[in-house]
Amino acid sequence: MTGPLIVQSDKTLLLEVDHDQAEACRRAIAPFAELERAPEHIHTYRVTPLGLWNARAAGHDAEQVVDALVEYSRYPVPHALLVDIAETMARYGRLTLSKHPVHGLVLTSNDRPVLEEILRSKKVQPLVGARIDADTVAVHPSERGQIKQTLLKLGWPAEDLAGYVDGEAHPIELDQDGWSLRPYQKQAVEGFWHGGSGVVVLPCGAGKTLVGAGAMAEAKATTLILVTNTVSARQWKHELVKRTSLTEDEIGEYSGTRKEIRPVTIATYQVLTTRRKGVYPHLELFDSRDWGLVVYDEVHLLPAPVFKFTADLQARRRLGLTATLVREDGRESDVFSLIGPKRFDAPWKEIEAQGYIAPADCVEVRVNLTDSERLAYATAETEEKYRFCATTATKRKVTEALVRKHKGEQTLVIGQYIDQLDELGEHLDAPVIKGETSNAQREKLFEAFRQGEISVLVVSKVANFSIDLPEATVAIQVSGTFGSRQEEAQRLGRVLRPKADGHEARFYSVVARDTVDQDFAAHRQRFLAEQGYAYRIVDADELLAEPDPES
Amino acid sequence: MGTTTPPRTLAEALRARGDTSLAGLLRARPDLLSPVPNDITQLATRAGTRASVVRALEHLDRFALQTAQALAVAPDPAPYATLLALLTGDGQDDGEGRDDTGAAITAALPGALATLREQALVWGEDEALHLVRTARELLAPSPQHPSPTGLGPTVAEATAGMSPGRLQEILAAAGLPPTHDPVSAVASLTELFTDRTRMAALLDTAPVEALAVLDRLVWGPPYGEVTANPAPPVRWLRDRGLLLPVSTRTVVLPREAALHLRAGRAHRVPEPVAPTVTAAAERDPQAVDRAAAGQAFTALSTIEELLKLWNNGGPAILRAGGLSVRELKRTANALDVSEPIAAFWVELAYAAGLLAPDGEADERYAATPAYDDWLELPAQDRWTRLASSWLAATRTAGLVGGQDAKGRALSALGPDLDRSAAPEVRRRVLALFAALPAGTAPDPQSLLTRLRWERPLRTPAPGASPASGEADLRSRIALWTVNEAELLGVTGRGALSSQARALLDEAPREAAARLAPLIPEPLDHVLLQADLTAVAPGPLERPLAETLSVLADVESKGGATVYRFTPGSVRRALDAGQAASDLHAFLATHSRTPVPQPLSYLIDDVARRHGHLRIGAASAYVRCDDEAVLNEILADKRSAALRLRRLAPTVLASQTDPASLLDGLREMGYAPAAESAEGDVLITRAGARRTPPRTPPTPVPEGPPVPDSTLLSAAVRAIRAGDTAARAVRVGTGSTQDGPDPASAGELPRTTPAETLATVQAAAMTGSAVWIGYVNADGAASQRVIAPVKVEGGFVTAYDHTADEVRTYPLHRITGVAELADDPSD
Repeated sequence: MTGPLIVQSDKTLLLEVDHDQAEACRRAIAPFAELERAPEHIHTYRVTPLGLWNARAAGHDAEQVVDALVEYSRYPVPHALLVDIAETMARYGRLTLSKHPVHGLVLTSNDRPVLEEILRSKKVQPLVGARIDADTVAVHPSERGQIKQTLLKLGWPAEDLAGYVDGEAHPIELDQDGWSLRPYQKQAVEGFWHGGSGVVVLPCGAGKTLVGAGAMAEAKATTLILVTNTVSARQWKHELVKRTSLTEDEIGEYSGTRKEIRPVTIATYQVLTTRRKGVYPHLELFDSRDWGLVVYDEVHLLPAPVFKFTADLQARRRLGLTATLVREDGRESDVFSLIGPKRFDAPWKEIEAQGYIAPADCVEVRVNLTDSERLAYATAETEEKYRFCATTATKRKVTEALVRKHKGEQTLVIGQYIDQLDELGEHLDAPVIKGETSNAQREKLFEAFRQGEISVLVVSKVANFSIDLPEATVAIQVSGTFGSRQEEAQRLGRVLRPKADGHEARFYSVVARDTVDQDFAAHRQRFLAEQGYAYRIVDADELLAEPDPES
Repeated sequence: MGTTTPPRTLAEALRARGDTSLAGLLRARPDLLSPVPNDITQLATRAGTRASVVRALEHLDRFALQTAQALAVAPDPAPYATLLALLTGDGQDDGEGRDDTGAAITAALPGALATLREQALVWGEDEALHLVRTARELLAPSPQHPSPTGLGPTVAEATAGMSPGRLQEILAAAGLPPTHDPVSAVASLTELFTDRTRMAALLDTAPVEALAVLDRLVWGPPYGEVTANPAPPVRWLRDRGLLLPVSTRTVVLPREAALHLRAGRAHRVPEPVAPTVTAAAERDPQAVDRAAAGQAFTALSTIEELLKLWNNGGPAILRAGGLSVRELKRTANALDVSEPIAAFWVELAYAAGLLAPDGEADERYAATPAYDDWLELPAQDRWTRLASSWLAATRTAGLVGGQDAKGRALSALGPDLDRSAAPEVRRRVLALFAALPAGTAPDPQSLLTRLRWERPLRTPAPGASPASGEADLRSRIALWTVNEAELLGVTGRGALSSQARALLDEAPREAAARLAPLIPEPLDHVLLQADLTAVAPGPLERPLAETLSVLADVESKGGATVYRFTPGSVRRALDAGQAASDLHAFLATHSRTPVPQPLSYLIDDVARRHGHLRIGAASAYVRCDDEAVLNEILADKRSAALRLRRLAPTVLASQTDPASLLDGLREMGYAPAAESAEGDVLITRAGARRTPPRTPPTPVPEGPPVPDSTLLSAAVRAIRAGDTAARAVRVGTGSTQDGPDPASAGELPRTTPAETLATVQAAAMTGSAVWIGYVNADGAASQRVIAPVKVEGGFVTAYDHTADEVRTYPLHRITGVAELADDPSD
């Protein structure tokens, strides 16, 4: 009764981190269980049908899963749970998608009743073609993604043996001169390549771009990279030129301003989802070349229309990159079924322990509203409440105090509301980057910040993602998109690049006490808290009472 | 017994048996003991009664039963060799090579016979075995009860009532010499059929199609339908007595002929050996014990959770008894299990006496005092209590959700869930588990096969009731037992645990002792984490668990428990009377790791606001801008009766109503003014109280109200008319001849319809009044004085003096009529 693992009746697995066997156990359960929470003492994994089927797809069988549970479990594993696992895993592989020399893509079953059951489903009927024989039915190649997704929902996941097209070959090598892929990056690339398609989850600042580059070097084929915005596209290009054998000319940018299609093309989600007269004019990009690899950066932001195009791309290798696969719209499973299962996942704290991301001190600063503000808040309309408490004047004072406290450090002030940011910029005498700031201006300001010419930058949510600001060490969040967990994590990610002197990053979240702001903050922090980032809570009054370092 | 003469009756055989042997009989057939028989003769008689024999046969295993069936088709008495031959066959190879079976039968037969003898179903020496007559009747083939052997009646039985001429014809056709009487004819035919060589020779001459017909009948059922003019092969067989007529359309293959064709075997498939229970999996016995203990612990916590759930008023009891489907579903949700499993836990707690109806008017289920005692026991003893109750229970939770014979739904805790076979089957199933080596999980199907072999008459094979497809009760109980044993932790991963073995051996202490070390020790600590969760990496000591479940919400259960702290849960703890400092101390004591800052902060933050607003009830208040006056009032002893409390410097709250408070303060010499809900001073005079619109009360005079003149005159007229009718002297009708005047006697006048019509018509002509008896539509009779105006269509229209109006009376409702002596009007 000494194992590190406790199996709960709700199919969560609790792993005691400080246990001697914890690492071995983690490796044993990682193939089939999803890491859900990773706070300091006990990590929570969850066993889901999807996870079990992915394990089957990766070549693990039920016996291995059961053995892993039984071996490491501290208490006896309920028999019913073991039986359930075996039954769930047995559902995988009854149906297979494969290439047929005559009929193209076909769905075959080795268990006829299952085939009959799914063919009777109204959702499957439009996706399949003629019945070829008792056990085989034709599937239109363009429905490959759809049918996989539908079958998954019906509980009979299909094993996809139809393989991938190689795409147009293009030589790409990693140019590992004076640097090399970190061990976890290598694992991530290998994990992805063996799986064919899938999602790699790495913390912000842990070098996801290099995982992309690594995957391209494996594929050695023309690649389409989808990113969130133009700044990010330029960063990708810069990084690829620096780290791989690719030259500037081989990489095209496909954005609002430029429409280049090159062997490696970087496109923004925005341009793809631009709609004119009811059609998406830029969709042809997907068909413009015989892409061998499609990379989705920040896959958690994948816009809904792209989901649909992706479903049609099942024959191409797909790599999704993200730090935070939590979507407030709950479409995580769509990401998994369309891009592919999670191939690699590293807890933030683990990467931090290896020194690849900076340790961070997260602080929630609780601000008391003044009496008049409280009264105004109490009478505000429900939809205005958050805006009101998030932009309260007291926050400005606290922010100023914080900026003063960290004078000399590169500081980002991040917020949601433009009025608030403008006001802060004015008081802090700092430039403001917001949606209307031109790309050129943005890059100029970012560059100045990187060079240390300006030390305080006030940014709106345009800087939530993919902005590489290695020197930022302090981030102050004054307001956010309600309770968005991934936004909080991404904002923390802005300061996680390891610092030259190894000192820790600071992340302040300024929150108005006893308001919805506090409730949203609690929800926002959940992802990071589950990743082991413990928020300290301090009162704004204490902070304001601290002597000014200057005086 | 060798020296004594062979017994002649069952009683004699019993008498010759030793005491232990008799005790064995009574143990095997306890029904013989109620009441205790007076002597052996009575015992033998009772052992031969039909009900008792049926019961005994039902308790036989398949081979003993087959032995008895074989004896039933053998001559009575039958020597051992005959019996053996009936089971093994007479050695002729029938192409189905059954040497192994033969050897097994030879080995098993003495045992089966011993069982039958012990049960007093068979008596007599080996040379002359007697099957008890009742058993013979029950088991011997008859058209009503086809025997499982598939054999038909003997030649003698089948030819009873056949004409002697027909018998002689059969003899001739079979190539036998004629005999002089039917008895010898039958004997001759029987002899032919039982003589293997001659019979074989006879059959050699048979047409191929005839042999095919015999093939169809040989293993039963032995009856066949024939047309009035059968086909030649059938005719060939019928002519030779190989098929004997039962009725005009039915023929039967006589037993002797069938036995010849079967090479002497009574059963197609004798099953001398019990089918073995096969192993589905081999597991490490220690792992089995651990898994079972884990499940046992889960069982205990589930029962605790269930009864805790019902602590504050369990579910209401249905009028028919039991839990409603909805309540069961709710319970299942709360326990996070499926409904059948929830039904099992509820029934288990009930069977163990831990819950019962509370007996209140609005009857609900609640935990019993025995539950509190049970809770105090150590975990291992709690488990043995549960498991023992389960073993002995006749209530079967598996039936819940099904329907009884009348189509009524069977509800959990409801009536009609008792199945007397349950404990026996349960024990038997577990005994079969126990017979396997430790750590072996049996295959449930093989268990069922074995159970069927052991009690063939109680557990018909699945094919026996073809359409229903539903397994018989014993098999269902057996399957439920397998599932329930796993839930309860009697088995672990499908194999019997050692603690359960001890329990089956009636050693609950030993069982508890074996279980104790396997049950996880309750922990006195939890792990607190910065994401505001606490993880108890095992079961917690009860006080700790109770406090924690108030302070935090349970997020996940199992071997460990995950708690989450939320503002709501902390507030709950504060509401329960804990102070923030208590909570800090509690967490610091029970946490292995430092209390995370966010958690301390959460508690302080909630505590800061907890009780910030205070709510109370008061009947009235006193307010005064001058604090000194309020001080004065509070200091005054006379104010004690007013129950005043100071809420703020300028406000007092009182539990007395405003009027009394006003009076009280006035008595004390103050001049208080009353205040309305809006804070205005109430001015007494201006605001004189008024009711909503009201009507004055109606007076209630003594006696009825005085009538008005109209009413009075109508009344008088009515009385008068009635009086006239009563006192009227009628003239010369038959009904008033002598006797007392019918009117004065309160009787209705009676005349024949013809007289009535004539009298009324006469009166209409003369315009005179007549006196009639009349029965209205409600059947009420009355007397009336009418002056007929016209008579037609069976109706008489008349002026009714009694009612003072013109009315129409149907003639058939008039009982009689009488002329009035004088005019009724004054």
